[in-house]
Amino acid sequence: MKATRHKGKSWQNYKVAVTGINARAENPGPGCAVARCIQEHPQFKGSIIGLGYDALDAGLYARHLCNNSYLIPYPSEGEEALLYRLSQIHRAEGLDAIIPCLDSELQNFARLKSELQLMGISMLIPTRDQFNLRAKNHLSTFCESIDVHAPESKALSNPSFFESCEKEGWKYPLIVKGLFYDAYVVHSAFEAKTVFAKLVSTWGYPVLVQKLVIGDELNLAAVGDGKGNMLGAVTMRKKALTEKGKAWAGVSIVDEGLTKVAERIVAGLNWRGPLEVEVIKGYDGKIYLIEINPRFPSWIYLSHAVGRNLPVAVLKLLSGVAELELSEPTSGTFFIRHAQELIVTLPEFETVLTEGRLAPQMVQDQIIRSA
Amino acid sequence: MNNDTKKLVWEPPFIQPHRMGEINKFGRARLHDNSKSSVYGVSVVELLRRFGSPLFVTSEKQIRTNLRNTKKAFERRYGSVVHGWSYKTNYISAVCNIMHQEGSWAEVVSAFEYEKARALGVPASKIIFNGPNKPKFILERAIAEGAQIHVDHLDELQLIESIAKDQDKVVAVVLRLNFDTGYTEPWSRFGFNIESGQAHQATKMIALSSHLNLTGLHSHIGTFILEPRAYAEQVRIMCKFMRELESNEDFCIDTIDIGGGFASQNALQSVYLPPEQVVPPINEYADAICTALLEGTQYRRQIGRELPRLIFESGRAIIDDAQSLICTVVGTKRLLDGRRAAILDAGTNLLFTAYWYNHQVHTTKASEGTVADTVLYGPLCMNIDVMRHSVQLPPLSQGDNLVFSPVGAYNNTQWMQFIEYRPNVVLVHENGECSVIRMCEDLSVMMQQDRLPEHLSMPFPDTSAMARMINSGTIARRS
Amino acid sequence: MEELLSRTGGKVPSRERLSQLAVSETGFIFDPQTGQSFSVNPTGLVVLDLLKRGSTLDVASSSLADRCGTPAEIASSSVEAFILQLGRYL
Ligand SMILES: Cc1ncc(COP(=O)(O)O)c(C=O)c1O
Repeated sequence: MKATRHKGKSWQNYKVAVTGINARAENPGPGCAVARCIQEHPQFKGSIIGLGYDALDAGLYARHLCNNSYLIPYPSEGEEALLYRLSQIHRAEGLDAIIPCLDSELQNFARLKSELQLMGISMLIPTRDQFNLRAKNHLSTFCESIDVHAPESKALSNPSFFESCEKEGWKYPLIVKGLFYDAYVVHSAFEAKTVFAKLVSTWGYPVLVQKLVIGDELNLAAVGDGKGNMLGAVTMRKKALTEKGKAWAGVSIVDEGLTKVAERIVAGLNWRGPLEVEVIKGYDGKIYLIEINPRFPSWIYLSHAVGRNLPVAVLKLLSGVAELELSEPTSGTFFIRHAQELIVTLPEFETVLTEGRLAPQMVQDQIIRSA
Repeated sequence: MNNDTKKLVWEPPFIQPHRMGEINKFGRARLHDNSKSSVYGVSVVELLRRFGSPLFVTSEKQIRTNLRNTKKAFERRYGSVVHGWSYKTNYISAVCNIMHQEGSWAEVVSAFEYEKARALGVPASKIIFNGPNKPKFILERAIAEGAQIHVDHLDELQLIESIAKDQDKVVAVVLRLNFDTGYTEPWSRFGFNIESGQAHQATKMIALSSHLNLTGLHSHIGTFILEPRAYAEQVRIMCKFMRELESNEDFCIDTIDIGGGFASQNALQSVYLPPEQVVPPINEYADAICTALLEGTQYRRQIGRELPRLIFESGRAIIDDAQSLICTVVGTKRLLDGRRAAILDAGTNLLFTAYWYNHQVHTTKASEGTVADTVLYGPLCMNIDVMRHSVQLPPLSQGDNLVFSPVGAYNNTQWMQFIEYRPNVVLVHENGECSVIRMCEDLSVMMQQDRLPEHLSMPFPDTSAMARMINSGTIARRS
Repeated sequence: MEELLSRTGGKVPSRERLSQLAVSETGFIFDPQTGQSFSVNPTGLVVLDLLKRGSTLDVASSSLADRCGTPAEIASSSVEAFILQLGRYL
């Protein structure tokens, strides 16, 4: 990337919008962690705008992470609605960059890329093709093409599969997944069909079924530069899980095998933007690719802790800084996720509810004083 | 406070409790004003004045454009293709003839559809006769006239053979196949299954018969298929089957018919993202299909044999966005849960596809007032008559018009005659003129097929008439 | 309001109860007694404001009818429904 391309602003002064700022304890979005990585970087002097989808998204009110915040339309409303809302926000804030953090919204952002670019907002995100090739229902084909193992999986549109699947070699327990989110281990046809119905009602068709592989869960986060290079991988082994199978404790590790797999993925797709590679290292020593997520994971704060601040790397790439200053990968840094209450005042809640945005702090203080 | 005197837009006062976990003022925010005062370039007011409400409006230009673009996508990649117009998608005569004028054959699946295609003047040689129920009389006619018959099951194959014998003919047949592409649920109830050997068994029967000749293979893997690779797999499996046939038996397959199923720009209720994002452009389907077909037929080019003719039977992708439904609000309500509701003069009797699509709904004039979640009901006395379970609309009032789109596929055929007359269907010609292509029903149409036995000719016969009927034994005496 | 109470058998909130509500100009309402919040539409906001300030049902209806240019009967029956709705929530 030519350093001269963006003569204007330095990344340090960027106004960056971040999505996925929901923070339910059992399954948080990555947005707050991304915001935290950026805010805590010693050279960052800009500000962060949180973009939420619900008045209970904690990031909306977390002023130490998001200097200001807004509600935006659900991904299901399509790109036109999103563009309309983003233009309103841009007029008020003057954004320099957006880091989308949720799978379901990425296609909307990808389709708006050039419009947003014209408005002066840049994003490091994959193309529609890259996004589709790694989609859950295409994953096994992609794995074959880059010679990576994947647990056998199948896209389903009819739950009757679960009645007869054992005869066809699909023995319980199996993993049943929604197209965008949610995965459940099921032990019987009955359980599978219940989960199927639940996933269909939220994420629609198809539903994915995958054979269970026994082993250690390893996750790798990195950034692709769009030319086939993988930058700054950080690898984490889950140490303890929430009920939803998310890490609530983990430790940084260095795994050569996984790094190679991830490099092949990034090169194979010419991946542009953040990604998370989820694998299981089977007890047979093989690495099985479970998922490629087109965004940062919610444990991305660990990257800051190990000296490879990936969200900041994205900003540097966007502003044309060649030197990413990532330290050597290290192992042995732990994280434990914990829940905390965020205090929200009535006026704050009210403006989010009625205006879809958080009122600026000063205005808030006035409201409170006059109340 | 001086704003006490400011004028307010009337709406009944209403208070809505907040439910946590679903609060986002902008979540389903639609663009401030998405009203459209015209459809296919014609003013809604003018259309309703001339043709009444509700009203189906069809665009000739859109149909022709869709069809040309789709055919071009295939021709550029493969060469000659034939489009079979799937009558069941929309068999209004004018619609069919637009397709035929563009060169499409008729794809029919019943005696009625066959007779209709012939009545419109379609030569039998341009009729593809599909479907699981082809009664003997119509098969006899189709065979005598030389239609292209697609066989669905063994009993039918035997029937065709016996008719061929009677007519002393060799009948060319196309075999309908089913198989698992791994992408969609197999429609295994239609045609002959490849994996189980049924299809091979049928080809053996044909090979042994001196009155049958196998000239083509057909399959239709489903409808609203969002995954072009499903078609690539379909074509691979069909080509493999064809190659086996051609090397083992003395067949020469000249037709590969891949059925229909390309998705239209409509929002399935079960799909999370909007259609612009999930429906692949026609070029992606054509790419997948033609690449697989060129690969799968390479062996024929090597031995100097012609490529098979490619037939596709796309229905909804051609017609869906070429029709809209205009209707009128007959009343509004507040539901007990606080949502707005409106009752329309068109319901699922006319818009059968409302059961599985979230059609787009447009108001026809810009309106003030806050946009809110609204339920749209049809006019039927059935609880399930819901046109939209949830749509963001400005406040509606009696007499407002709404436009539903796209509605061109399967509504003018699957609509039901239940308690209401079916309305006019009009066509916007390419020059902008409008004409009725299907007249609205009236009482005479509705009663035309009824027959009254003599003793039921009066609803309330007088006593002497009753006595006469009892005496003559026409009706029994009640104790 | 008593008359409405006896006629419909519904619950009608007292003026004291209504005056507890924190009502903002944006139509956001917070009920400190229950912790529940609400949104009220612009016409509802006008009516609520009047009721809180002690207007009778008749006065509230006719002033709403004036401001919207709506027939008095329609306004008054809508206001009644609104009050009964408040009664269900408070
Ligand atoms: C044999 C056959 N061909 C074509 C079609 C048209 O399908 P579509 O409208 O999905 O293109 C159908 C529809 O069911 C069909 O059964």
